[in-house]
Amino acid sequence: MQSDATDQEIVRRTLHDKESFALLIERYEAKLLRYLERLGVGVREDREDILQNAFVKAYKNLNSFDPELEFSSWMYRITHNEAMSFFRAKRARPQVILSEDGELLLTELRDESSDTAAIAEHRLDSEELARAFAELEPKYRTALVLRFFEDRSYNEMSDILQVPVGTVSTLLYRAKRELKKVLPEHHRANHF
Amino acid sequence: MPPSHHHDDPLTKRVLERISDEHVRPRWEFVVKNYFFWGLGALAVLLGALAVSAILFEVTNVDWRLASATHGSLAALILAAAPYLWIVALIVFVVVGYRNVRLTSRGYRYRLSTIALGAVLTSLTLGSALHMGGFSRAIEESIGDHPAFYRPILATEQSWWNAPEKGLIGGVVTAVAPDIASFTVRGFDGATWQVDGDDLLLRDRTTVARGGMVRIVGVPLVSTSTSGTFFHACFVFPFAPMMGWRHMMPPPPLATLASTSGHESPAERSAECRGIQPYHDLRQVETDDAAASNEN
Repeated sequence: MQSDATDQEIVRRTLHDKESFALLIERYEAKLLRYLERLGVGVREDREDILQNAFVKAYKNLNSFDPELEFSSWMYRITHNEAMSFFRAKRARPQVILSEDGELLLTELRDESSDTAAIAEHRLDSEELARAFAELEPKYRTALVLRFFEDRSYNEMSDILQVPVGTVSTLLYRAKRELKKVLPEHHRANHF
Repeated sequence: MPPSHHHDDPLTKRVLERISDEHVRPRWEFVVKNYFFWGLGALAVLLGALAVSAILFEVTNVDWRLASATHGSLAALILAAAPYLWIVALIVFVVVGYRNVRLTSRGYRYRLSTIALGAVLTSLTLGSALHMGGFSRAIEESIGDHPAFYRPILATEQSWWNAPEKGLIGGVVTAVAPDIASFTVRGFDGATWQVDGDDLLLRDRTTVARGGMVRIVGVPLVSTSTSGTFFHACFVFPFAPMMGWRHMMPPPPLATLASTSGHESPAERSAECRGIQPYHDLRQVETDDAAASNEN
């Protein structure tokens, strides 16, 4: 099912026709499953269950959606909250899988480093980055994933995490600092 | 409802199956919830304003200049008279206000400092207006009477002037001799004091002649009679609560100072008065008051 309608239009349509909600599910399913994977929900069935719950919650609370926000931010928020509940309930250690090499994040970290020549010769592989991510506190991991893997703006992150924009900056700053601490020793020496 | 576990089905199908029996919650629920939290936030700020007006009433009604007489030092008076309850109340209301605003649909966008500053400034503005409008005493006393551990500031201050052993008495001037060399005071605790005013300077005598509530620093006398207890006055200060920006008006004068009374006020107080502990501080208060009067 394809549609050129905006998210907001589909939301309005869904209020009268439940089936229209399928358009939104199809539009965001892949992105949000990938987001959950990056957050550390390692088992595909768990990711699907979380997302299923998130979509049902979104549907039931469709009238609380603020049209001034991006629907995607709102949907990320609900999914994020579901994921955090999942982690709390399972008390499971996150299994972060980063299929990308995190180039955007590395660029950012490099920009903050004085030894750019050394960095240019090395690439951090995604497994090492994933291991380092798994060591981070959830709030830091989430901030880095949203910014550098989901490519969300500060304002969108503010809407997703429900914190002021200034707090997003602080979170990112601290998250990068913590990441540097937990990265393998040789990468810290060579990269940063 | 738990998630459907037919993982072979597409997610869309599973979600649509689950929502087939669900209903979208009506919009009014969210609107009411949002207004509810804004309302609680606003209410907290209004209560904060009441706290501010009570704080202002207390701060403006403590005579800080007489600290050395009543408490020995300004620091001791500050510790004794700080409006703790109202400051705590203000902090609680600001926190409650913040939490409620934070729970509104877009409340997360505001920083704690922004909301707290906004709430404090609004409370300060409204509280100052209430104080200037003369409502702060009623607020401080009516709300302040309820907790058993709390005593309104005027009652507290009166208790400080109910300590003849420390040379402090206060009350209402009920009778004045024509030459104002002596007068009667009904103390804040109801006791009657026969006060000897021989040592009073013209400024003190004017205060006595005006009547109303006064605070007296002096020396208690051992002799008593059926008509009351005797007290030798060295300084007399009016006790006129501040109502907003002005002092409460005292009643009409009880006596008129006449230069022909034959009993002139002394140029300087006796050694007995000069020996009281905060004598020089009290003289300074007199000097400051005289300077302020001349400026006016």
